[in-house]
Amino acid sequence: MPDVTTTAASQPTESMISLQDLSKIFPGQPKPAVDSIDMEIPAGEIVILVGPSGCGKTTTMRLINRLIEPTSGRIILEGEDVTKVNPDQLRRRIGYVIQQVGLFPHHTISDNIATVPRMLGWDEKRIRSRVDELLAMVGLDPGTYRDRYPKNLSGGQRQRAGVARALSADPPVMLMDEPFGAIDPITRDRLQNEFLRLQQTIRKTIVFVTHDIDEAIKMGDRIAILREGSKIAQYDTPERILAAPADDFVADFIGAGASLKRLGLTRVRDIELIPWPTAGVDATRTEVLEALRGSDKGAVLILDDQRRPVRWVGGREIQRSDRPLAEIGLPSDAVVQPHATLADALNEMLKSRFGCVAVVDGSGAYMGSVEFGTVSSVIQELRRDARERSRAEADELHAAGAVNA
Amino acid sequence: MALSGQPVADADLNPGALVAGGTDLFRGRRASAMGYLGLPIVLAAVCGILFLWLGTQDLGSIERRSLNFERISTAFVEHMALAFVSTIFVIAIAVPLGVLLTRPAARPIVPPVIAVANIGQAVPSIGVLVILALIWTIGFWPAIVALVAYSILPVLRNTMVGLQQVDQPTIEAARGMGMTKRAVLQKIELPLAVPVILAGVRTALVINVGTATLATFVNAGGLGDIIQGGLVSNRQTVVLAGSVLTAALALFIDHIGGIAETRLSPKGL
Amino acid sequence: MTILDYLAAQGGRLLGLTIEHAILVLVSVTISTIIGVTLGVLTYRTERPRRTALAITGIFLTIPSFALFGLLVAPLGLGATPAVIALVMYGLLPIVRNTITGLRSVDPAIVESAQGMGMGRYRRLLRIELPLAWPIILTGVRVAAVIIVGIAAVAAVVNGPGLGKDIFRALARVGTPTAVPQAVSAVLGIIAIAILIDFFFMIVARLTTSRGIRA
Repeated sequence: MPDVTTTAASQPTESMISLQDLSKIFPGQPKPAVDSIDMEIPAGEIVILVGPSGCGKTTTMRLINRLIEPTSGRIILEGEDVTKVNPDQLRRRIGYVIQQVGLFPHHTISDNIATVPRMLGWDEKRIRSRVDELLAMVGLDPGTYRDRYPKNLSGGQRQRAGVARALSADPPVMLMDEPFGAIDPITRDRLQNEFLRLQQTIRKTIVFVTHDIDEAIKMGDRIAILREGSKIAQYDTPERILAAPADDFVADFIGAGASLKRLGLTRVRDIELIPWPTAGVDATRTEVLEALRGSDKGAVLILDDQRRPVRWVGGREIQRSDRPLAEIGLPSDAVVQPHATLADALNEMLKSRFGCVAVVDGSGAYMGSVEFGTVSSVIQELRRDARERSRAEADELHAAGAVNA
Repeated sequence: MALSGQPVADADLNPGALVAGGTDLFRGRRASAMGYLGLPIVLAAVCGILFLWLGTQDLGSIERRSLNFERISTAFVEHMALAFVSTIFVIAIAVPLGVLLTRPAARPIVPPVIAVANIGQAVPSIGVLVILALIWTIGFWPAIVALVAYSILPVLRNTMVGLQQVDQPTIEAARGMGMTKRAVLQKIELPLAVPVILAGVRTALVINVGTATLATFVNAGGLGDIIQGGLVSNRQTVVLAGSVLTAALALFIDHIGGIAETRLSPKGL
Repeated sequence: MTILDYLAAQGGRLLGLTIEHAILVLVSVTISTIIGVTLGVLTYRTERPRRTALAITGIFLTIPSFALFGLLVAPLGLGATPAVIALVMYGLLPIVRNTITGLRSVDPAIVESAQGMGMGRYRRLLRIELPLAWPIILTGVRVAAVIIVGIAAVAAVVNGPGLGKDIFRALARVGTPTAVPQAVSAVLGIIAIAILIDFFFMIVARLTTSRGIRA
């Protein structure tokens, strides 16, 4: 809860979980698995722990619900020191999703989801309505799936049930350990999108472990890149990590395609669209040629009476054929909406037969176009931006150092 | 025998199991009235033929004394008492012991316990019975002790294997949801181990029905009385009748055990 | 009378009975292995025969030993013959089951590549499948032997050979000072045979398992 007496010096976002100097040394191992990590996890955000295998990211996550007991340090949850509280009570306040899901095979889906509410002593009526609500929320029809056993569900459905089970008692915090790791790529993409949409409404504080930087960029509000011993190499928003990797380790980890990855963060609505010449389907040849002549483009976009893109028609095709405009040229099959990312736009571009994407509004009416040149100049800009920012930061650090000296 | 052999997908083919429920053939893979009744009908027919055949034989007084209804039913009741009482003791001892031995704290004492149990398996059941009779007494209780000692290993072993093979992520998920260790054991581990434990109990029950046949040598009754009576008096008809009845009982109990095994296992597995 | 006194007095006779017992076991296990492996090889490929073979041998093992001896006495009379036949029947299930398990666990890719090299059905079985399945089959034979050692003690009720004779003699002498040492020494003899068998199979497994698949 915001404390009115705290000064402006406190953090801008209230932190839900705070790890303070937290360490874990497994008996018989020379190096700590987690070496005094300090971390603030803001309320309502998805924080990704990502790093190479063996870096201690899963151990760090399991320290939070104390499936692994820390050797030293403190865990603060909602302002309360939970390092020493009863771990079972603690875990009932924290949702937990793992890659293997771990549904109880001898319980029905609804009994699985009801596990924590039953431990918390909810009445059966409330549990039943909560189970149905959650099943619907994760996209499983309650009537169909309520009484099924886990073995009768596909991998993707099991993971949905696992998410529903973690959400059952409406915990403020969820821990997710590679939740989509064992699922085929197409289903994974769909589950990720659905989960992001779900998170828009539930606004949980989520700690999410993955080894996949692309998943981290897609899912994270913030990403903590960890190196061996769970040392934080960089903890920042995906944009800033891609734009300004803190060091070589981070740069190596996010790989050479960092700028390209940022295309997944930039929306079509954030860039300037290129106007292509347009003409209605009923336009005369002369009108089309007129429009073409008035621009530097090689083709005209033919729109239907609702201003929806129909075909790309080049000057040569107009002169060669006298068939209707809607039947010549190439179909304008690459269409995106403004909230699509540049990565989506680029994807559409590569799939389409005419290398240009039409941007349409909600009703499908043409707004402008994205060309490869646009995408490429955005990449250039992102790179320049990144360079400048890191230079500015270096200067700032330098200045601060000078003052201290 | 190793405690946990290599995992084999087909439970029928588990190379470690001693008794593999031979009567399962009659039950088939799916529950059906014919599956449940097939074997009992066959066994009843065999017994019926036996008695019809006995009726055609010219039975002497010794045969009549051994093969009357009262004698057979007494032996049957004694036999069932031996088999079931010993099995109940076995469950009461072996399941809690198996639970204790699979707790992390018990890890160091598991290998010696298993070694002793394995050597114990080599002791012949008739030897245990006779030694107990010689050093203690004859009758029901020494027979029970011998039966328990001889059939405890399958239940102990299956309890341990059943608990150890519970999927680790399932346990972790339960712990992660805030179930206490006790709750995880009661609600997750034990229910999931039930099918394997039940298979062990069924094996123990069949062993006990078999070993109870030998109880006659320590004056504890049972169907062995009839066979032994026939052998001592050199009456082949009595030996045959007693053996057929005993074999039919053992197969019937195995069959019932198989049905119980399927019925009592949690759904969803 | 202590066991040591008893052994001093009766050691020679006990050794004779132990050898008798061991021979009874050896003969039964050998016959059981020949029949069991053959059954396994014949049935492992097809579902119905496989399940039937397992069910029938499983039923043998379910029938109480005393009853099985009794059933065999009627047609065969008393003596070593019903004893050996009953013990062979008891040993079949583990051998058949492990033969089937072993043969079915051979990687199909290996069998296919042998086929691809032009190996015929029998050569494939003898050169590839059986050697690869051998460790599992051998485990089955060992389990059978351990079962048979114990049940062989009961063979004495049908006048079969072996240490069981001494167990029943001790029972007949209940109350005399020799009874307990006699029974205990017979049981110890049986345990000794069981341990020797385990040891024997460990060595056989080492010597006969290809080094490529040894654990």
